[in-house]
Amino acid sequence: MRIACLYVPLFPLAARLRSEPDLLNEAVAIVEGNGNNAHVVAATRRARKKGIRPGLSLAQARSIVPKLIARGRDGECERTAQEALLEVAETFSPRVEDAGEGVVFADIAGMERHYENEEALAKAAIHAAVGVGLPAWCGIAASKLAARVAAELTPSPQIVEAGKESDFLAPLPLMRLSPEMEAAITLQRWGLTSVGDFARLPESEVASRLGESGRDLHYAARGIDPRPLIPRATPPEFREGMEVEWPLVALDPFLFIANAALDRLAKRLETAGFACTRLEVTLMLDPDGFHSRAIELPAPTRDVKTMLTLIRLDLEKTPPGAPVVGFAIVAHPDRPRRAQLSLFGPAALSPEKLATAIARLASILGDDRIGMATTVDGHLPDRFAIADYGPPPPPDARRKPPKSRGLLAVRVFRPPIPVEVITRTANGETQIAAIQSDGDISGEVRLSSGPWNIESRWWSESPAAREYWDAELMRGGIYRLYREEGDGGWFIDARYD
Amino acid sequence: MSAITASVDYQFELLAPAAPRAKPALVPDPLPLPIGQRESVRLLRASLDAAIAAKVMNATELIRAVAKQSRDDVTPTMLEPLDALLGGGLRRGKMTEITGRRSCGRFSIAMAALASSTSIGEAAAFIDLGDHFDPQIAESCGVDLRRLLWVRPHTMKQAVMAVEMLTATGFQLVVLDAAGHPIKGRRVHDAAWVRLARSAERHGAAMLISAPYPLTGTASEAVVNTWPIRARWIGQHPRVLAATLINVSLQKHRHIRPGHEAVLSFRAAESARDDNG
Repeated sequence: MRIACLYVPLFPLAARLRSEPDLLNEAVAIVEGNGNNAHVVAATRRARKKGIRPGLSLAQARSIVPKLIARGRDGECERTAQEALLEVAETFSPRVEDAGEGVVFADIAGMERHYENEEALAKAAIHAAVGVGLPAWCGIAASKLAARVAAELTPSPQIVEAGKESDFLAPLPLMRLSPEMEAAITLQRWGLTSVGDFARLPESEVASRLGESGRDLHYAARGIDPRPLIPRATPPEFREGMEVEWPLVALDPFLFIANAALDRLAKRLETAGFACTRLEVTLMLDPDGFHSRAIELPAPTRDVKTMLTLIRLDLEKTPPGAPVVGFAIVAHPDRPRRAQLSLFGPAALSPEKLATAIARLASILGDDRIGMATTVDGHLPDRFAIADYGPPPPPDARRKPPKSRGLLAVRVFRPPIPVEVITRTANGETQIAAIQSDGDISGEVRLSSGPWNIESRWWSESPAAREYWDAELMRGGIYRLYREEGDGGWFIDARYD
Repeated sequence: MSAITASVDYQFELLAPAAPRAKPALVPDPLPLPIGQRESVRLLRASLDAAIAAKVMNATELIRAVAKQSRDDVTPTMLEPLDALLGGGLRRGKMTEITGRRSCGRFSIAMAALASSTSIGEAAAFIDLGDHFDPQIAESCGVDLRRLLWVRPHTMKQAVMAVEMLTATGFQLVVLDAAGHPIKGRRVHDAAWVRLARSAERHGAAMLISAPYPLTGTASEAVVNTWPIRARWIGQHPRVLAATLINVSLQKHRHIRPGHEAVLSFRAAESARDDNG
């Protein structure tokens, strides 16, 4: 088995810089703890050059670099950065183990067919990790331990040949095996400095003096790592988010950082070959509480502008009501729609562009204002429903359109316009004589025809019984009118046009 | 402060040099032949079988053919008098405007265009500013509803934006119906129509603007004005609306002399009353 380890050095800092890339060239320290207990856990190169080291208290660090930018450890940033690292590893292997804290193992057995050698694979993995904003190192070995140690060494990548694990580890300092504090002190007292020195000791003697943990450490020093790779189940969603330094009360600053998060999310979705079909936004409120919302997208998309517009419109419609101190955006993935274009038939629409256009229009006009119209069974006119628009593929060859039916269409009025109608009876026949309304649909009627009775849903609690008429005004315009049989009100519901 | 540089060793001409005078000749040079009729091409075609030679085309001929095809590429409305008036139908990559007041057949023409486009498998969009579209009527007119995107904007500005977005998406026919008079929402700036016309040209979409009065100005390829002639009623007891006659007049066209007129007849669909049974 060959195992690749992706390792992100100074992971808390790398995760933070992924969310705030502007801080990359500043003197920044990531601190853990509050008040007097706050201490530095990682610092940027610029801060390290000035003497900032992990373990310093924040007060000490500030005394060295007064303009030091301090950021607390952000669990949300680290969680999403770890997810992004896992997804990078998943593009190389389906068997990926999450070791946490910026470490990921991947089983790369069988991948040699796709890459010239293991070094090329490792370089591709590093490049992919940099693509999602994480400066990763890579090591490849036959065991997780050796791969992990190789990944922590520079220059990266480091490749350990199969069966040469003990030789690879031997010259390294013993601290590379991360022994327990007590065992480390004992080994130091024994005068052992390198892994090879320790590996040469008899196993039974080490076990009798250091116990079970000492035996495991001895195994590790000899390059033996019996721990199998435990692949993780693929999560059904993609998540990005961060905690902000101060409570946000305005929408624009929030959208600014949400845009960056969506950008990262879109890149991760693209890496995995997915598009987003549903967004879940969770806002952490000040002083406590959460505000969650779900936004359905009309079609799978990776367009950041569309997703940001949808979030903005949703927040404008229902503001959270309290300052926001953090957020998490979860994208539910779906396969993007693909279509085969025709050489000879009419051009097909690009599903990706169509989905984006519909999503943007739906966000501006409303979900019920755009889509595919469908007819609904019934007896009354103007029955329709709106469905998701997904046109079938065009035919393979162009054809001539059939002759037009030449039918007169009607322009429906929604809602129907209430009017007053004057009728007259001549020769035993009732005719509409005139129409009066508040708008411009008024005047004497030249000719009319009707009534055409329609009775609908007579079995239900809301039956409709109407008599329909057609009427042509003297001043022009042919209208369709109806009268409700119950209260006798007249309405114009369409114009022949 | 001074800088050392090489001296200018030539003299600028103050006047443009005189145009070379043509040499006198008793026999002028022959005019250049069209590339397709050159001797080498003619000989090549003569050496080929007639069936194959008819299909051989050089690059210049191909460019001309493509340009001609794009000029002639139209979406017919399949209303013969109107298509004849417009030189075949709605030109692709161009904006056509139809104007007219109430019951002038604008909506029926839009439905006919949508039916023609969707029936051959094209994707069409209908921007319905007044929310007047009736899917049942459209279906009876022959519109394939599966291929039609129905958009109901609230204002003219949103409608224009939707037209531009959907044209860029690749819809082959985009119809904007600006409803009745007065137009819902404020008028958009004239530059918006120029922008739409350019968008249609860039993406090769046929664009039809239906409005109660001219909106597009110089941006449109053709403007057709419609007005009702009369409605035809048949029978006495009961009397039934049978058809309407519409006069269409070409007000403007970039390639056809305006002023031509034609008459369209639309038969009344059996709508509400026949649903009764």
